[in-house]
Parts: sequence; structure tokens; C-alpha cells
Amino acid sequence: MSALQTFMLVVDHDKQEARQIAERIAQDIESKKTNLVEVVQSLGEYINDDDPLLRGKAVSYLTAVIKALPPRFLTRQQVQVLTTFFCDRIEDAGAVAGVETLQKHDRFTKDMAEEVARALFENFNTLQSRAQSQRFQVYQLLNELMSNHRAVLHEMGDTSLVGTVDLMTGEKDPRNLMLVFSILKVIMVEWDISNHVELLFDSVYNYFPITFRPPPNDPYGITAQDLKDRLQDCISSSSSFAPHSIPALLDKLDSTSQNVKKDALNALIACINSYSPDTVSKYSITIWETIKFEILNAQEEFLSNLSLTALHDIAKRLSEGVTQISDQLPLAQYLRPITKECNEQLREPQQKQAKPAQEILKATSKASAASFSLIVQVVVAPLLTLYQGADGITKQRALLETLTQLFESAITVFGEWTSRTPVLSAENPLLEFKDQFSEIFGQALMGTVKEEVSFRISALKGFLRLSTLRDYFHDSEIGLFVQYLNEILLKEESVGRDELKKEAIAALAEISKHQPRLIMDITFPAFVATLPDSDDGVDTSYMKTLEILAQISVEKAIFDTLVRRLLNKLSLLLQRDQPGSAAYPRAILLTIYYVMSQRKLEEDPGLEMYYDKIVVTMSRSAALTASGKAKNSILSDPTVLDILGRLCNIVVRSLPRSRQDEVAKNVYTLFASADEFQPVLFSQSATENQQRTMILSTYLLAGLPTDSTLPHSMSDLLPDIVSRSISKTEPATQLAILRHTALLVNKFLPKSELSMATALFDSLLPTSAAESQISAETIKTLFWLSKSLILRLAPATTKILTSLLSLLSSPDETTSTIAARGFAILLKDDDVLSPTNGANIRLLSKQRVFTTLIPLISANIREINTTSNNDAARAAPPKEHIKPAHLTALSGILSTISPTLVMPELPTLLPLLLQSLDLQTEDSQAVRAATLQTLAVIIRESGVTVIEECGHVQSLVTRLLKTAEHNKKQAAVVNGPRLRVDALRCLFLLAQAPTDAGDAPAVAKAGKLSPLLPVRNQVLRSLRFVLDDPKRDVRKAAVDARGAWLRGVDEAPEDED
Amino acid sequence: MASEMQNSNPTILNTADLPTRLRPSVSSKSSTYGSEFFASALPSLTDGALDPISDYSESPSDSESDGELMEEPIDEQEIYDLISTINDPEHPISLGALAVVSLPDIAIKPALPDVPESLLQTVTVLITPTITHCSLATVIGLGVRVRLEQSLPPRFRVDVQIKEGTHSTADEVNKQLADKERVAAALENGTLMGVIAKMLETCQ
Repeated sequence: MSALQTFMLVVDHDKQEARQIAERIAQDIESKKTNLVEVVQSLGEYINDDDPLLRGKAVSYLTAVIKALPPRFLTRQQVQVLTTFFCDRIEDAGAVAGVETLQKHDRFTKDMAEEVARALFENFNTLQSRAQSQRFQVYQLLNELMSNHRAVLHEMGDTSLVGTVDLMTGEKDPRNLMLVFSILKVIMVEWDISNHVELLFDSVYNYFPITFRPPPNDPYGITAQDLKDRLQDCISSSSSFAPHSIPALLDKLDSTSQNVKKDALNALIACINSYSPDTVSKYSITIWETIKFEILNAQEEFLSNLSLTALHDIAKRLSEGVTQISDQLPLAQYLRPITKECNEQLREPQQKQAKPAQEILKATSKASAASFSLIVQVVVAPLLTLYQGADGITKQRALLETLTQLFESAITVFGEWTSRTPVLSAENPLLEFKDQFSEIFGQALMGTVKEEVSFRISALKGFLRLSTLRDYFHDSEIGLFVQYLNEILLKEESVGRDELKKEAIAALAEISKHQPRLIMDITFPAFVATLPDSDDGVDTSYMKTLEILAQISVEKAIFDTLVRRLLNKLSLLLQRDQPGSAAYPRAILLTIYYVMSQRKLEEDPGLEMYYDKIVVTMSRSAALTASGKAKNSILSDPTVLDILGRLCNIVVRSLPRSRQDEVAKNVYTLFASADEFQPVLFSQSATENQQRTMILSTYLLAGLPTDSTLPHSMSDLLPDIVSRSISKTEPATQLAILRHTALLVNKFLPKSELSMATALFDSLLPTSAAESQISAETIKTLFWLSKSLILRLAPATTKILTSLLSLLSSPDETTSTIAARGFAILLKDDDVLSPTNGANIRLLSKQRVFTTLIPLISANIREINTTSNNDAARAAPPKEHIKPAHLTALSGILSTISPTLVMPELPTLLPLLLQSLDLQTEDSQAVRAATLQTLAVIIRESGVTVIEECGHVQSLVTRLLKTAEHNKKQAAVVNGPRLRVDALRCLFLLAQAPTDAGDAPAVAKAGKLSPLLPVRNQVLRSLRFVLDDPKRDVRKAAVDARGAWLRGVDEAPEDED
Repeated sequence: MASEMQNSNPTILNTADLPTRLRPSVSSKSSTYGSEFFASALPSLTDGALDPISDYSESPSDSESDGELMEEPIDEQEIYDLISTINDPEHPISLGALAVVSLPDIAIKPALPDVPESLLQTVTVLITPTITHCSLATVIGLGVRVRLEQSLPPRFRVDVQIKEGTHSTADEVNKQLADKERVAAALENGTLMGVIAKMLETCQ
């Protein structure tokens, strides 16, 4: 059997082997064992067969052989002969592939290209009816010719144009269309299409709108959007299409489908942006007349927004090259009907239609300076007249807002003071109205009764826009505005929710970005002047002032001045004999802390000064205060020390390494000399005042890098600090010491010395059941030690967790209860032991704690439940506190863990959560609150289905309803208002479909009844009574929950459609 | 709404101008530092300092125990909040913003003034249609009624009427809204309930 015959036999089922056969023949040709002529001749008997399949296979054979030949092997003549051969046989399968191979050859000439193209165009009928993949080959060939021999096709002119259109007519496959659209676009852009505009346009517009939806798992990854984009490129490619495209697209806006309208508007926008300005001008008014309805009677916001974009883009195109404004401009002609319509709508600016009119004006006026001027010329004056004659504040307010929209356009066109765009040479047409605006807005802001808050806010916003508009207001005019704002903030009483003051602060902050000088000169001194020297305990208005100063100090210059001034104030305060309450210095520190935490301190040139003035000086002052050597006791107040510590912490973190090393040496001495202050550490007789400096030491320590050299060895430090943490001190001091311990163990203790920490931990545990009672301080220390070890996933993690859990079963109730609460400490994010402070927190630590503890707690509770059932008669000592303790511990863990970790454990967890809801006592409120939080998250994330899967819908709903109940007769509060609200919130979420599962309702609709249906009536009935709760918040939650159950839980879901 | 709009260009009140309840801000958080702003801008100040063990029992119940004693009876503002967020069937705008319902037109009175110990109360809501011949007034009235009946405890009677002089066929509409049988019949009507459900969708 000849190679050809073998090839034809296998080609259908074994492509691999077919290719190998062809490669062998190709090698034979190369090594001159045979030649091309022989190969062609061997086709002889099949090539004229009546069966097209056989002919196709024969041609494919030749193609395969040629493909296998090295690229430069064929001579020009051979290429020529083969091309002609393939072109003659173009109808046979394989020929197209053959030509495609040949056209890649260097020796493929222009004439050959033309020959191929003609062959394609002449045989379009046959080629059209081929299978998709073969049509794809045809288009690919054409595409290759387009890119390699475009000139040839171009010279063919109308032939290639009509030929291509004929060839693609009726094409439906998305992959092929992608190619076709890009080929056609080349023709549309580069050919002379004047004779065939309509033919070409129709060839692509037939496909509009594209309704293609890719099949699931589409291997080609073509989306409807890809097709839409290419089609849109075609439609917008040539201005000559305008007479066809624009009316057709505008017609499509009558469609009832939002998507079709969206595609039409997008295509329209593309046309506007690529057709010539003359063409756009010709159709501009037609477009406006049609699409204004989309804006004035907006159905969907996105359609209205697209229409606005279209209007804007027309104005922009028509402004191209406009230097001189005149009425004869196409732009002016386009804008005339628009401004006329808007002026009409704005005559009653408080009505519904005024808003779209404002938007139209804004969209068109921001297109260019020319457009802005033309609109301002005809719009502003009538608005001002209307304003003068307005009979109500609502109308005036609407007018102010309309003007503000124009100001925003002005900012888009002319920029803000800080804009980096080049300054336009065109004059801002608003300059003419400057004085009027200043007066109107000033009058509205300051001359209106104080109760008209929203009106004054509108005025304020407009004034602010004008103040930030580049080269508009003079400094003195902005200064006037700033003074108004000062007056509002300093002199006016609060009205309502203080919205105006909030806006005023925001406005000052905004202006400080543009004109920091004005804020420095006008606002800053006025506000600083109101700060007292000390707090007399009566007037605490300084707090408001400091809040405002903190918020307007965004700019560097203002920030610097503020920090300096406040530090001065503070050091004066520290010198006073009677400094008043500690609230004032604390507020000052808080302000500094706030502004510093808003900035990048690392790059601040003032860092050295902060180090000196804040870290060194203040720490030393605190040390002196603790030793009783200071003028006053401000720095012995724990809250002042806390803020000071935080402040030092952020400064220390940003310091260069050498300074940080200096801090490391002074963590405990606090930069004081030995005779000024005796460090707390290793001192047997430290007073409460001295102990309190540990707050500061802890924050300093937290800010240091992990590899700092501490002034003492770990083996000295740890035992001392732990012995302090288990003895009784003030709460703030104790928390600092606990954190200190945790920092040392978590951040600074080397891995090799971890046993030191675990040994300390073990030594604190109760030694035997008899001595089961341990102090609250010891328990806290145990938990903080555990926290620091667990977060770094120390080897002893599991053992530690088991030891902690055993505390819950302590026969001593206090120990058990306190330990139960301690579980909330373990995974709680802490400010000091935090990632920003370089704490060693491993990613899997939370998961580890959760998966270790949950099975243990669950097993313990099961055991308690069964023993209490079986042995009720037996006289075992009652240990009723143990079960609540376990549930408390559980809620503590749950409140600090992400819900994603909780989900997989739900079947184990849910019974526990339900049991904790059963704790109907006053002290259990916090536990139940935590449980409800967890439940709310579970329900929100995965809806009712997960609960149904565990079979707990009924029991959950019953318990929630019980928790939502308010019992007037009971003396003790079992269900506090918050708890009732939380329970109702869970009920609300139950009836609400889960947010993320988009296809869940579809599943429910498929005949499956809601699992909530059996309890629907029970819930609705019970909630009716909750509607009469004495607390408003509870009633509100009950209304929402009831509404959700009425709406969401349908008796018969089929009715919905 | 397939038919032409009855009033395509009504006046709209700004949401900021609608009556709202001024609540005393929750002061428990800011109390330590005396500043709400800093407490909210630097949340770690108030959060991190909490010690779960010692603050455990005090913090949640502290603020509540004194609050628990104070009853907050249902008042006109609360009724207003319930119905002002209902959407108009014609526009995607709330009844509050269209001034169809307004605070002064809501009244709560004892249902049986002669029996002082009775807890029964009557809520009267007067509706102001945007134009005097609005045929949707009945639907709006029905929507308000449905919303209140769903959201008020059983001891409340609901009375919805068109405000005098604001509608050409006010008497007719009032009769419909007051007629229990007709209201019940209307609520059986699927299309009508669909419209009302859509109006109530925005109630939060």
C-alpha cells in the first residue's frame, strides 16, 4: 500500500500517525528519494473521484506533506504551481489549509495572493456551507492575507469588499464572528467604501444586538462582551455609516429590553467618539431629542448615566478646535435646545424633573471650556433671577444646588487650586457673577435662621466648591468663607445632629489642602486662642476645639504648628502647681496621637524632635512624677499614661535603629537617672504610683524591634514580671503588666528558651484538687501567658489549652467562672501584642485553638448532661456552674474567631449554641449575646439551609422567640433590650435569603418549600406581641423581622411569579 | 405602571429635611475620653482597653439596667418612621419625600376615652395625595394601612383617611379605606397585593 493510501485510511481516526506518514514522505523529498511531482502525481487516481470525501483526503495528504517540509525548501515555481493547484481545488477539504501554509512562505508573491483571494471569493457559496472549523480556516486564511498582503486585497477594491461580505454572510459562530468583525473593520477603515456603504453596514449591523450567551465551560472563552466590543468597533469605524447607524441605534432605544438599550447607547457613544465632528454635529440635535427621554424619565440609573455620557461626548467632540465662541458654532446650535429644555425644567427647581435637568447641564457643561461658557451664558442669569423671586426656602435651596452642579463642572474644566493640569487660557465665565455668588451663598449660609440646616449646608457646599475652584476667588473672599466657618464652629449653638458643624469641619479640612495659609492665618489662631491654660472642670468646650483642630490639620504645615503648640501647652501644664483635671492634658495628648497616627512618621523631618520632646522628656517626667518629684500628678493618671504610651509607641516604631537601641536601654529607667527614679523592676517596695509607670514601659517595649537587646536577661525579667502580675494592683497597671509578660514571651523570648515560659505557666496551675481555688490575677496571668505562647504556636499549645480547660471543671465556682471568661482573651486582637508591633502571630493559631477546644468542650458538656440525667438521685455534689462555664468559654472563643472557621464544625457546634440560649438567667446575658452574634453570622453567611441540615430549625426558632420576649413581671432582667434586638435580628436574617448565594432562590423555587414554613405561623403570632415591647429599638427589630417573615416565607412559593 | 403617569413632576422634599428622631448619642463609649470623635476615629482606644475578665459583667448591663426601666411608648414619630419609607407606586420616591404623609397629620389617641385603663389606641393617619384627582390615593391608603397593621401590636386600631380638601373624591376613597370587607377583599387581589408589596419593599 502506498503512503497516500495508508494516510487516507488513518487520517480520520489517528491524526498522529497521519502526520508521521506525511513527515516521512517530506523527509524522502528532502533527501531526494522522491520528489514533489511524484507526490502530486500519486494523487491522480483520487483527485478526480466523485466522492468529495476521498478528494478531500487526497488534498489533505498533499497539504500535510507540504506542512512537514522545511519553510524555505520549495522554489518559487513550486509554490506557484501548488498555489494554483490548491486554488483550483479550493472546494476540496484541505486545500484551504494548504494555501495557508504556502502563504507563509517568503516565495509567496502578490499575484499568488490575489489568485488565492479570488478563488476564495468566487467559491463563497461552497465555503459558506462548510462545517464551523473549516469556515474558521477560511477566515483565518483571509485574515492572514489581510495582514501579510493587505495591499493586494486593497488594490482589488470592491471585489475584495463584496467578496468578503459574501463570504461571511450568514455566519453565526461566535469564534468565526470575532475574526470576521476584525477583517471587516480593516476594510471599513482602509478601503474606499463609498459604493457599498449600506451593504457593509448591514453586514455587521445584522448582528445587533448581540444576544449570544456562552455555553457553560466554554473552552474558547469568548464572552458576549468580546463580540459586542468588536461589533461596536465596526459600527463606529466610519463616518459614512452615520446615516444608517445613528437612526437605527436610536430606534433601538424603543426596545423593552434594558440590555438592548444599554448596547445601543454604548454603540452610540462609540460612534460619537469616532465619527468626524461634522458628522456628529449633523446628528447632534436628533440624538438629543431622542435620548433626553432616557434622562428625564429615567427608568434605570445606568441608562440615564449612559445617556448623559453621550450628551457629554457630543459636546466634547463639537468643541474640538473651537477657539472663539459664537452663536454660529455647531456646538452652540447643539446646546441651544438643551439649555432651553433645562431652563424650562428648572423654573420649578424643587420638582422631580429638575434633578435630571441639573444632571444634563452638569454633563454637557463639563465637556469643555467652550461648552461651559455657552451654557453659563444662558443658564446662570435666569437662575439668579429665579432665586431673587423665589417664594420658599425649598425652591432657593434647589437653585443653590443647581448652581453647585455648575461649579462642579467648572472644577472639571478649570481645575482646583491644587490641580496639576495646565491652566486654561480661556476665561472662566463664572467670574462675571463672582460678587453675586459670594453674596447669595454668604447670605444663605449666615443670614438664614439656624434651624434651616439643610439649606445652609447646601449653601456651604456651593461656597466650598467656589473656594477650591482654581483662580476664581481672591484670597480675601475665601478668607471670608473661612471666617464664616469659624463663626459657625465657635459661636453657634448645636442644632439637631450638628450636621452643619460636621460639614463646616470637612470644609475647613478641604480648604486647608488648597489654601493652607488661610487656615493657618485665620482659623488656627482663632481656635488655639480658645484653648484654656488649664481645665477648671466646668467648661470642657476645649474638647470640641481640639477635635476640630485635629481634623483640619491635614496639611504638613498646619500639622507641624499644631503639634508644636500643643506640646508647649502640655509642658506648661506639667509645670503648674494646680493643673486642674487630668482630662485636659489627656485630650491634648489624644489630639497629638490622632494627628500623628494619620501621618507617615518615618518620613517626617520632625521625628527627632518628637523623640526628644515626647519619648525622652515625657517619659522622664512620668518617672519623676512617680517618685513624687514633679510639680503635679498629671502624669500619674493611668489614662494619661495610656495615651502617652500609645503616642510614644508610634514614635518609637518609626525611629532609626540607633535611637531604638537607646529606647531599649531605657525601657525600665524611663530616661531618668538612678537617683531620680528607681525602676519598678526588681524593686521590692514599688508604690502604686511607681508600678503605674509599667504602662509606659510596656508601650515602649512594644514599639521595639524583635532583635533589640533588653537591659536584663530573660531569666531575670520573666519571673519578676510574672510575680508582679499575680499580685493585686490597679486594673490599668495590671493590664499593662500582663501585656508586658505577653510581649516578652511572644516577641522577645528565643525559641530555645520557651520552656522557661511553660515552666512558669505550670507553676501557676493549681497543684491539686484540694487547692483548686486560685486568684483572679493568677488566672489572668495564665491566660495572657497562654495567649503569647499559643499565638506563636509554641510546641506546648495543646497541653496549655487542655490545662486551661481543666480550670473550668474546678469545684470552686469563682475560679471556674473567671477562667471561663478568660477564653475570650486568648484570640482577641490586642493593641499592644499586635502585628504592627511585630508580635509573633502565626496564621494557623486561631484554627488550632478552635479545632483543639471545640471537641473537648462538646465532649465535656455531653458528659455533664448525661451524668446529671442519670445520677440525679445520687448525692453527688452539685456542680451547676460547670456547664455554664463551658458555654461561656465557648462563646469567648467564638467571638474572636472568623466565621469561616466555624462553618465546618457547625453540626457539633449548633447544639452547644442552642444550649447556651437556654441559660435563662441574668448573668448569662453576655454569653447569650455572643451566641446570638455567632448565630447571626452563620445565618447571614449560609442561610437557613445549614441549620435545616442539622435539623434544628424548630428548636432554634423557639429559643430565639423566647429570648425576644420581654417579661414585665420578672424582677431580674433576663433578656435585656440588646439581647432581644439581637434575637430578633437573627429571626430577620433567617427569613432573609443569604446574601452571597445568588442561585439559592432558584433551587428553592424548584418545588422545594421553605424549611421555615412549619414555624411561620408560630413566629408571626409571637412577634405580634413583641411589637408591643416597651423599647423602641426592640419594636423596630420586631417590625423588620415580622416584615421579613411575611414577605420572605411564602406559603406557596409558586405564587411569586 | 403601564398607564401614563398621573403626576410626572411632583415636588420632592429633601430627605434631610424630613422629621427624624433625635437620639441622645450613645455616651458609654466616649465617656472615658470625653470625645465621640476620637473614640470613633481611633476605635482601638475603647476596644483594646477592655479586659474581658473584669469588665465582663458590668459593661453590657450597666447602660441597660437604668435604660430598661424607662419605657418608650409608641408615638407619632414612630408611626411616621414606619410609613414614610413606603415608596410611591408611581415614582421611586418615598411617601415622606413626596409629603404624602407628614408628621402633623398623624395622631394617636386612646380608642376608648371613657375607659382610662383600656390599652386600646387608635392611630389616625391623614394622607395628602400629590394631586387632587390621583386615582392611586386608594392604593397608597391601602399600603399605609397594610404596613401599620403588620407593624403595630394588636391593641392598636388603624384609621387611614385622605386629608380634607386634598382630593376630589376624598369621601369615596375614605369609605373604601374604612370598609373592613372591602379592604379584606382588596387584599385578596393578587395584582393589588403585588403593587403594595412593591411599595413596602423599601421599608427598612
